[in-house]
Amino acid sequence: MSYPEDIARARQIKDLEPLHEAWTSWVKTKESLLDTLPLLKDPDVTMRSLAKDEFTALKDSLSTYISTTFPSLLVPPSQTQTFSALLELKAGVGGSEATLFLADLMRVYTRYANSRAWRADVIQSSEVMGGGMRDAIIEIKGEGAYDVLRWETGVHRVQRVPATEASGRVHTSTVAIIVLPLSEEAEPSGDDCLFKMEDVRIEVMRARGAGGQHVNKTESAVRLTHTPTGVTVSMQDERSQHQNKRRAFQVLRARLMDLKFTKDIADRRATRQNLVRTADRSEKIRTYNYAQDRVTDHRIGLSLMNLQSFMEGSGMQEFLDAMKRNWEQEVMEEVVNEGNLRR
Amino acid sequence: MHPWPVKYLFAQLVSSLGRESARLELKWMKQALSPSDPPSAIHAMLDRRLRGEPLQYVLGTTPFGPLNLLTRPPTLIPRPETEDWALRVANTHSPSEGSPVSLLDLCTGSGCIPLLLCHLWPPGSTRAFGVDISPEAIRLATDNAARCNIETHITSNLRNVFTPVLGDLHDPDLIHLLEPPFDVVTSNPPYIPKREYDELPPSVKDYEDPRALLGDPPESEHRDGLTFYHTIASFIARKGILSDRAIVVLEVGHGQAEAVESILHHTARLRNTEIWSDPWKKKRVVVARV
Repeated sequence: MSYPEDIARARQIKDLEPLHEAWTSWVKTKESLLDTLPLLKDPDVTMRSLAKDEFTALKDSLSTYISTTFPSLLVPPSQTQTFSALLELKAGVGGSEATLFLADLMRVYTRYANSRAWRADVIQSSEVMGGGMRDAIIEIKGEGAYDVLRWETGVHRVQRVPATEASGRVHTSTVAIIVLPLSEEAEPSGDDCLFKMEDVRIEVMRARGAGGQHVNKTESAVRLTHTPTGVTVSMQDERSQHQNKRRAFQVLRARLMDLKFTKDIADRRATRQNLVRTADRSEKIRTYNYAQDRVTDHRIGLSLMNLQSFMEGSGMQEFLDAMKRNWEQEVMEEVVNEGNLRR
Repeated sequence: MHPWPVKYLFAQLVSSLGRESARLELKWMKQALSPSDPPSAIHAMLDRRLRGEPLQYVLGTTPFGPLNLLTRPPTLIPRPETEDWALRVANTHSPSEGSPVSLLDLCTGSGCIPLLLCHLWPPGSTRAFGVDISPEAIRLATDNAARCNIETHITSNLRNVFTPVLGDLHDPDLIHLLEPPFDVVTSNPPYIPKREYDELPPSVKDYEDPRALLGDPPESEHRDGLTFYHTIASFIARKGILSDRAIVVLEVGHGQAEAVESILHHTARLRNTEIWSDPWKKKRVVVARV
């Protein structure tokens, strides 16, 4: 049997593990360093040289603790580390070329998810003639998917000659992406701290006339409206109204949780000169330049050559890692600055 | 080779259903295909659909709550209105192995209502019977039970059981095929009056069994679609059919709720009644408690 307090305690222990580990190995390394000191004056030449090598190695690793390991422990453990993610994609400027690029990006994220052994399901999509997509929602199920993918929120810009363009002119089009947190802990349609059931208006779409036995048309579309925030979610891709309702609640929950996170960050920024910037959703974050075979992330000024490998999903990790490092650095700076302010 | 490319058939579907619905239906057809199907299978599906056959028959299944049930002509296709109230019944009652319920579903058709309750209620809590006059319906209900992994005969006290029974509500011997008394009686009997039946869309009238739709058989004295409610009310009024804590849940057609309520008051002597609306705000269900 496990009790809630046991689970909380186990989580706390797990959270403290990196701290404990870092400290233990720091102490051990320091002891070894002290042990080598007398050997540096050993009469034997071979022994002295061995000790010197050892001393250098240990000194280096102690510096690494100070410069990298300890500061990284200042980054508080993520509250969302177990969350899955919902990716909402919307075609922006660029007409049918934007819808084609959206379909390309969907493949990129699906491949990336597969490479991480996460499950990717397209839960809503509206295909247009010619193979493109006007918009789509992908559910990416897997522990940590949200924390890894959240940097993808923003406007993605593509510069290329569209397959549909006869004159060979380069077009610029955009796709807007929002990454939402998906928590598995709560019942998708139950009450919790995010919303009250009585605040959600559930509407079934389209009239059915007499309904019942008179009509056998499939009519499964559902729309939810969260009255306090005005957030609405429509779902129609499943044949079952029951399923569409479940999906709609899942998306509603993710959007409300995202709103809450955004608000929390804004509140923190207002009270404590927060340095960590939140992504502005309308900000252009990345450019995919086909002519130059290059992907550039504008937030960190990182460019990668070989766009093809990125589109096949393998280049993605490099950007995500860089974004994560960048974010951790900002958080560390924030913590340090806060310390300074307090003093 | 099929003479028409899929693109052409799809364009026809768009002009009859609108782009959005056509797109979704094509997607569902593709999902319903299995890899072993020949490439012509999608043509055959589109072709049947374009002739006006209901999507659920073309696909061969329909979702019903968490279940995915088989659909076969001419047995009535489960409707979303029925799904909605059956889920509501499932949520408002909580039988258990220690406090089990016996359930009777009249005019059971595909078996959707008892199967959903057997699926959602805990194992060993539900003993259900479903009566229908149509051998096709009884075969389909039996196949659906197998599909949902619900037993049709008692093999263990740890399982829910749903037994489809071929029989006529008017037959005085029907009772011997059942095991009354019942705690829950449900029914979605045929309720469409003849004059409305004549106006039904072809996808209903040309494909679904008139015996599942027409409220008044030709020999009936009634013209308001309510014949079955009179029959059901007399049936449950018989001694020993309802338990002393029974609930009766009947689906009704538009505009029939009050009349059915009054039939239950007078014929079945059930005074404690209420009306439930469906998600489209139509009065859809009459509920009576002993």
